[in-house]
Amino acid sequence: MAAQPQQLPLEHGNYLTSERGIYSWLTTVDHKRVAILYGIASLFFMLIGGLEAMAIRTQLAVPNNTFLSANTYNQMFTMHGTTMIFMVVMPLELGFFANFFIPLQIGARDVAFPRINALSFWVFLFGALFMNVGWLSLALPDAGWFGYANLTERYFSPGINIDLWNIGLLILGISTLLSGLNFFITIVNMRAPGMTFMRMPMFMWAMLVTTILILLAFPCLTVGLIFLFLDRFVGTHFYLVELGATPILWQHLFWLFGHPEVYIMALPAFGMMSEIIPVFSRKPLFGYAGMAYSMVLIGFLSYGVWGHHMFATGMGPVADSTFAITTMLIAIPTGIKIFSWCATVWGGSLRMKVAFYFGVAAVLEFTLGGLSGVMHAAVPIDLQQTDTYFVVAHFHYVLFGGMMFAILGAFYYWWPKITGRMLSEELGKLQFWLTIIGFNGTFFPMHFLGVWGMPRRIYTYAPGMGWDFWNAFETISAYLLFITFVIFGYNLIWSLLRGEKAEADPWDARTLEWAVPSPPPAYNFEAIPVVRGRDALWVDKYGVIFEGHGHRTVPAQGETSGAAVPAAGAHHEAAHGAPHMPAPSLYPLLFALALVVGGIGMMMNWIRIDALAAALLFFSIIGMAFEYPDHGEEHTHQDPPTYTGIDHRKAGMWAFLGSECVFFACLISTYMVYKPRNVGIGAEVLNIPLTSFSTFILLMSSFLMVLALAATQRGDKKWATIWLFGTAFFGLIFLGGQYYEFSTLYLDEHLAMQGSIFGQTFYTLVGTHGTHVAIGVIWLLVMAVASATGRAGKSRALSVEIAGLYWHFVDVVWILIFTLIYLMRSVHNA
Amino acid sequence: MKRAWLNRASLTGLLLALGAAMAGCSPRYPMDTLSNGSDFARRIHGIYVFVNWIDFFIMVVVLVVMFLAMFWYSTREGEPGEPSTVTSDIRLEVLWTAIPALILVAITVPTIRTIWATQPDHWPKDALEVKVIAHQWWWEFRYPQYGIDTADEVHLQAGRMVHFSMQSADIIHSFWIPALGGKRDVVPGQINSITYTPDQLGEFYGQCVEFCGDSHANMRLRGFVQSKDDFDAWVKHQQAAPVTPESGAAARGAKIFADAPCAICHTVKGISGLSPQYTGNFKGPDLTHFGSRTTLAGSILDNTPENLAKWIQNPDAIKPGANMPTLGLQGQDLNDLVAYLESLK
Repeated sequence: MAAQPQQLPLEHGNYLTSERGIYSWLTTVDHKRVAILYGIASLFFMLIGGLEAMAIRTQLAVPNNTFLSANTYNQMFTMHGTTMIFMVVMPLELGFFANFFIPLQIGARDVAFPRINALSFWVFLFGALFMNVGWLSLALPDAGWFGYANLTERYFSPGINIDLWNIGLLILGISTLLSGLNFFITIVNMRAPGMTFMRMPMFMWAMLVTTILILLAFPCLTVGLIFLFLDRFVGTHFYLVELGATPILWQHLFWLFGHPEVYIMALPAFGMMSEIIPVFSRKPLFGYAGMAYSMVLIGFLSYGVWGHHMFATGMGPVADSTFAITTMLIAIPTGIKIFSWCATVWGGSLRMKVAFYFGVAAVLEFTLGGLSGVMHAAVPIDLQQTDTYFVVAHFHYVLFGGMMFAILGAFYYWWPKITGRMLSEELGKLQFWLTIIGFNGTFFPMHFLGVWGMPRRIYTYAPGMGWDFWNAFETISAYLLFITFVIFGYNLIWSLLRGEKAEADPWDARTLEWAVPSPPPAYNFEAIPVVRGRDALWVDKYGVIFEGHGHRTVPAQGETSGAAVPAAGAHHEAAHGAPHMPAPSLYPLLFALALVVGGIGMMMNWIRIDALAAALLFFSIIGMAFEYPDHGEEHTHQDPPTYTGIDHRKAGMWAFLGSECVFFACLISTYMVYKPRNVGIGAEVLNIPLTSFSTFILLMSSFLMVLALAATQRGDKKWATIWLFGTAFFGLIFLGGQYYEFSTLYLDEHLAMQGSIFGQTFYTLVGTHGTHVAIGVIWLLVMAVASATGRAGKSRALSVEIAGLYWHFVDVVWILIFTLIYLMRSVHNA
Repeated sequence: MKRAWLNRASLTGLLLALGAAMAGCSPRYPMDTLSNGSDFARRIHGIYVFVNWIDFFIMVVVLVVMFLAMFWYSTREGEPGEPSTVTSDIRLEVLWTAIPALILVAITVPTIRTIWATQPDHWPKDALEVKVIAHQWWWEFRYPQYGIDTADEVHLQAGRMVHFSMQSADIIHSFWIPALGGKRDVVPGQINSITYTPDQLGEFYGQCVEFCGDSHANMRLRGFVQSKDDFDAWVKHQQAAPVTPESGAAARGAKIFADAPCAICHTVKGISGLSPQYTGNFKGPDLTHFGSRTTLAGSILDNTPENLAKWIQNPDAIKPGANMPTLGLQGQDLNDLVAYLESLK
């Protein structure tokens, strides 16, 4: 008989009660509180997105309906998709559940960058509100969540609708990218001693792969949106055919992001299912290694399948066949997951709780969605079914049947830990069965409608097409589905007010978050636990380790201390009282405010507002950097060493640079693809001697950067300052050269951004690099001043090293640009 | 046992879907994707049925395993049984990696064969050439072999291969007549094509299937597959010049047509006309043989005098965002214009 882990006395209250007041929420950096903010915001947006869905279904209930106008309907389906993806599913999975449980599951006290975590939330909230501001005059985005060019161009969509979407998504992208970076470093660097990769909970594996996908996929969307922004505001022709460009470029960039995005939403849900099913089956997850590797494989393959969204665009038989095969391949790891979940349930001792209901239902509904996905991999079938309701059925089975069911299961599973209260099982079961009926009633008939040829995104249809009955049926089912969410909301509120108090480990669960009280204290773990095997809490409770192909027993430690076996490094800390926790900060809120003010300024073309926003942005970044005496994130020498031994900030910079690689790859590819399509002024006007000199200067600056780092490391304040200023000065010379180059090209060669596709791709690519150099110069100047005034030390050396990483990266990118754009200017075959 | 009904419901649902799939060409579903109206459609139908059965089989396996597990291993509160401690089984895992892989190979082979078979580089010289030009929100069809320019209704000859070459006047659209085969996007700046041989006589519905703005739902079309004789007769009729009415309402209507802004965008051969090469987005449908068409305004209304009058009075009310302006024609003028247009048989 095993013992439940003991409820530890809460000396400082739990995370919800340790601080009070509105201001404490505005400035909080506690990952659990930030998660709560995310949860509230995304539940609110879920209501909005749900109402949009109801509007859509009401309009389609009968043929030739006039409930909504054509344009309002288009706004509704655009915002339904955009809202559910960017403001509901992703923030619930990443912002709410992952944010709350990554540190708790890996035995950490917070995420790697607590203030950036808060910043991600505020940027997300303001970006989402920014996009929804169109409600005020019903001028919401109206070109679909996929926003296909060239419908989104100013000529075809003159209103602010698309501006809101364009700028709003750019803002949301910043939030997601920073979250991804933050969680990636957290998982890699902050695992408790003993938690090897192969001992991580499956949800952590899911988040690891998800965050990598975020880092490598979002830059593609960002580049696509920047082009759209330039087209709409500056008058370039990235997606307009007049100068030889093609709107298909948008589809490539969008789906290069868009298909990994599907897995950014799916993998966390897979992780949740993999947590819930073993706990309620009282069995370890079947085929742990296969489950982990299949997720890595899915993540990898997801980059090679974007073309399956474009089979109808006429890519030709070679591309069609290639994407068909890659898409088929992705079904194999997905199958492994489904069969492994089945095998986990098989032979278990099942406890039929609501969380388990939703977990199992998620597997089954997702399987149906996956199988219709296989159908679409077969290109000929896809040519009939794409852009019909069959596809709507397919992805709702994936996104609602798979993802949303998993999220609902996660609510029932983790709610006690988050709030300290149990949800009502009775209401939950009622909700579950009504959801099953409402969901399948809404979406299963869409398969029929698709087979009978009903296109997507139509605001009306004629009677006599054979579509009437099932559309009416779906609308009624959709209302029922909406009611199930009302029940859900009622259950959440009821639980907060009247729900039974939750124990630390109400489900007899397997992972570390259940070793701490419900709700957890602000610092999570009294002492950082030591992990002795997979299912770390189970090992401590029952003394059974499941690893490899069997299990072995070790002495249980649950009787004495729960999972909270202090790590060797934690003794020191425990002796000094309460754990050292990050201090609150107002700068994340300011940063987000600056971004959204800048967005408004750009949209309305208010230069002064833009300048104000830029100043506020600069102020908040500098403020955040120097908020603590030892600038940067608040790490001190007392902090436990990171799991990999690499400092969070340094690892974070490496991850960021990985993301930047994709960003520049998209820009460079666009240049290379458009080069042979250019007519008029081309690369022959480029000034090679000048840029050769600039290149030399920039390379020399990297050399100075090395000297600066060496001087800082040996504590030589004077020379460190000199070399830093020198590096910045060389950067300035480079920028001066670029200014001269651009102005001569513009004035003497009449090369404008708007005039030719060479002009627009050249200025955008080289200008973006120049912006990176400019940011680097500002960074170096700040570092130089800090070096001259502050005290030199080991930590200062790290800061210089990180700035150096960025600087060297920018140089390497320049070498690539110089070679491809300048030296190979006369090579015309892309 | 609660879940048993769900099991049954899901199975019934799948069977229903399959039944619907097998129902084939049914007049109740004018846009049925499984109608076998051409060689292309038939090939797709074959793969679809094959994959549908495979999906059905896998779904049943997963459902049965899950439900049996639910049935056998569920415990009531307070009496947990001893769960199995199996953590993995390499034979099982290899099996459920290899079998799906083989199934996927079985799907991939016909898929790729069909991809190559349905996207030929060359087609016979006597294949029917149809130039599809997509506009917001109507379809223009040109027959370069016959010098015909018509709108929203495309006539094809049964048993004769047709090659559609597509271009867009404005943004991306997608051309689709489900009974005759898959769809193809119409993309500005590039010429896409699709080739198939329709072999079932009849009238088939189609629609634009790439979201193209406000009236995306109102961009429909009809395909008429005719016997050789009927098709030749249609061609001959379309090539003939329209009869200019001598007197009566139609003659007054002809004058209104010429005087009102109609003629700026609409061609009636011998009376008004844009350059035949013009494909820009100021072009409206060629009305030379308007009266011979069965539908109007992007195939959303039957071609009757009442509907035509309603359309001319306020195009935006019928097709939101339509480029055609409201001309303010009333009473007698409107009736005369309608009479003229309907006389253009």
